[in-house]
Amino acid sequence: MPESKDIRGIERHVAEIIIGELKLEDVTPDTFNPGMDLVDELGIDSMDLATIALVLQDEYKIVIDEDDYPKLKTVRLIAEYIEEKLAAKQ
Amino acid sequence: MKTVSTLLDAEWRERYRRISSLNIRSSIYDLTCRCNLRCKGCFFFSSGEHHVQEEMDIRKWEAFIDREKARGVNLAILIGGEPTLCMDRLEAFYRRIPTYCATNGLIKVPRDRFPDMMVGISLWGGGEDEKILRGRDTFAVSSKNYEGDPYTYYLYTVTPKQVGKTEPVIRRIADCGLKVHLQLLSNDEGVDGFSWRPEELSDLRFEMDEMLDRYPRTVISSKYYHEVITTGMMQGRRFGWRECPSVTESLDTRQPPVRRLIHFYRWGADLQTVHRCCTSATRDCSTCKDGAAHMSWIMVNKRDHMTSTKDLQNWIEVYEMFAKLYRLIPW
Repeated sequence: MPESKDIRGIERHVAEIIIGELKLEDVTPDTFNPGMDLVDELGIDSMDLATIALVLQDEYKIVIDEDDYPKLKTVRLIAEYIEEKLAAKQ
Repeated sequence: MKTVSTLLDAEWRERYRRISSLNIRSSIYDLTCRCNLRCKGCFFFSSGEHHVQEEMDIRKWEAFIDREKARGVNLAILIGGEPTLCMDRLEAFYRRIPTYCATNGLIKVPRDRFPDMMVGISLWGGGEDEKILRGRDTFAVSSKNYEGDPYTYYLYTVTPKQVGKTEPVIRRIADCGLKVHLQLLSNDEGVDGFSWRPEELSDLRFEMDEMLDRYPRTVISSKYYHEVITTGMMQGRRFGWRECPSVTESLDTRQPPVRRLIHFYRWGADLQTVHRCCTSATRDCSTCKDGAAHMSWIMVNKRDHMTSTKDLQNWIEVYEMFAKLYRLIPW
């Protein structure tokens, strides 16, 4: 599991995963806007989201329900979702 | 980093947002194994896909459709056989899920039972080609049945013999107040003279472009779709088994995974058999000209089109074309 479990650390890690999976250029985890709409701006579709969710599930040892995908619209919302899941586990 | 905002102006961004919210989950259903035509080149019969025990109990159909809805299907595409031979099954779908009926148009769908169901009428060319391939000129009947119907369009499967001759067909369709979408024949039964040669495909591409320019209120299409379906190429990749998005999910063992239609299935009329893809499992994918498969191929590869303004606009136009064909957005 990634070391940093505070919300900023999770946001940074989610951004890192998205950049890696989508092979995004000219952006780093530090410059990625966590409020950017992933569908409306980045063009992510449900298959991209499923791929990213698989990596996140593996890294954070959580389950991301497919029905929850529509909620995961930004890096910030994904990070908050992960934070809630981690808190529920404890 | 290229984003929608950096690539598109306000008007195109609005068009993008309108379609990106649709979240289409389609599947295809053989409503029956029977047909009132036997067309040469029809994949359903040439591949033996009609050899299943058709489910006759309407309650089992209704329960099946409820299960399909529960797994997220929000667009049911009904093929066959001829779906209009089974109005009760047609109605069972229509009452539960947004439904599209692919028909030869010989039997009219009663609009009092199906007021806004989308109907796509298959057409295989002008009268002579129709007689050779289908045994009769179906347009003479279907155009009377559906004249001026706002929820109907012709799905015109262009054959190599139609190159240079599509305009009279399109004009007749316009004259009876209907729309048309063009796709290409895949000659599954090897009918002599109906297989494509490269120069015919090239000529047809420009003819389709011209028809779209001349009949913009009648032809539902896009020039990028014409390019992709006639060349078989998209963003430097060639269409085929390694690329096709319209493969039944439970049969899709391709590795690495291919970008595909989420939860797509094609079900047989026994409600148990699943077919490999949206068309014939006996078809060589490298020669497949299926229009729906090619437009879906473009649609599932959105991010590959976020390379330039023109590429993303092309992607949007194809998605809009698909959405118009199912009236998910207005014509």
